[in-house]
Amino acid sequence: MPLTLEIVTPEAKVYSDTIDSVVIPTMEGEVGILPGHIPLLTKVANGELRVTKGAQTLHLAVGGGFAEIDGDKVSVLAERAITEEQIDEKAVEDAMKRAEQSMRDAKDMDPNEFEHLQSMVRFAGVQLAVKRRRR
Amino acid sequence: MPSTRDIRRRIKSVKNTRQITKAMELVAASKMKKAQQAALAGRPYTQLMASMLATLAHRVEESQHPFLAERPVRTRGILLVTTDKGLCGPLNANLFKLVTDIKTPVKFYVVGRKGAQFISRTKRDMVADFPVSDRVAFTEVKVAAEFMVKHFLEGIIDTIEVIYPRFRNTLVQEPTVRPVLPLANLQEFVAHVKADAGHSQTGTRASDTRELLFEPNAQEVLEALLPFYVNRHLYQLVLSAKASEHSARMVAMKTAKDNATKLLGDLTLEYNKARQAAITQEILEIAASSFAA
Repeated sequence: MPLTLEIVTPEAKVYSDTIDSVVIPTMEGEVGILPGHIPLLTKVANGELRVTKGAQTLHLAVGGGFAEIDGDKVSVLAERAITEEQIDEKAVEDAMKRAEQSMRDAKDMDPNEFEHLQSMVRFAGVQLAVKRRRR
Repeated sequence: MPSTRDIRRRIKSVKNTRQITKAMELVAASKMKKAQQAALAGRPYTQLMASMLATLAHRVEESQHPFLAERPVRTRGILLVTTDKGLCGPLNANLFKLVTDIKTPVKFYVVGRKGAQFISRTKRDMVADFPVSDRVAFTEVKVAAEFMVKHFLEGIIDTIEVIYPRFRNTLVQEPTVRPVLPLANLQEFVAHVKADAGHSQTGTRASDTRELLFEPNAQEVLEALLPFYVNRHLYQLVLSAKASEHSARMVAMKTAKDNATKLLGDLTLEYNKARQAAITQEILEIAASSFAA
């Protein structure tokens, strides 16, 4: 019996398909989900999410959020999510540098703005890690 | 009968008005498209979050978190979401009607200049107003949300509600009062969110009856999810209000433009009549004087 996986961010529905299994990064470490998993509600950490469907494995970078497993339905509510192919290494590196630069430059920045930049940098790090995993 | 010169002057002024309203209509239309997209794109997210909360609601006690517990309401806290600029039809006026209907003690938190002006003019209790830009960023709304939540937890206000123009479609925006906190009735709330997203069925979904596992534990998940939900939900409502604003403005400007066009036609007709009458008059005078000679 296959699982249905849904990954949703505030901007869009990133992924929605039936799959065989998924590994979700959580605060307590990685959690592998197979069909028949017990209902679970957990916090999702920044990290790599692996989806297995048949012989294929898809890698996604996800940033912060929640995941719910209810029956055969897996829903991931992430602040950010991007599939491996969509990650543009160069652009991410640039964005990371820019964000870090502006964090250094601005002494008394709006704390909200600072937080936003920090989470951007963290997510950029995750994206790079996912992209460079094979090398 | 007004002279031809007067009519010409009026024609010119109406033409100017038409030009301005036409330009504003186009601007509003392009902004509307973006705002509507933003409002619609966020819906699956809010919806999923709502259904997570619903799953949660079955399994936790009200007393586990202050957001869930209902308490006697002494002062309501209302976030009034209005526009910064006018010229958007009855959008703001409809919201103010809702505000005037409230007779219980209430503290207002305002988004948008129009609302701030109204609340201070009518001498209601305004605690704070929050400026937001045209393309609302999450951080802008987060400031307002966290401020209200702080007051809620301190007991300065006992509810968090939002008055905003709910975006139905380009032509219809409903002024709505939406309760956000306390989350006493989660089921009802989930139905609301689903209705917003165009799902009419409110029946319970195929749910697993085995015990739900929380990781790391229920308390921690609750503490992370609930404030996050409040921020996100308020953000979604503000996005919806923005979409309403631009839609309402576009419609209002289109009506104004159409009116100007119609008026222009009438005036041109009148102008031509006056001109013709003047010519006929002149010919008559010339003929009369040549007879007399």
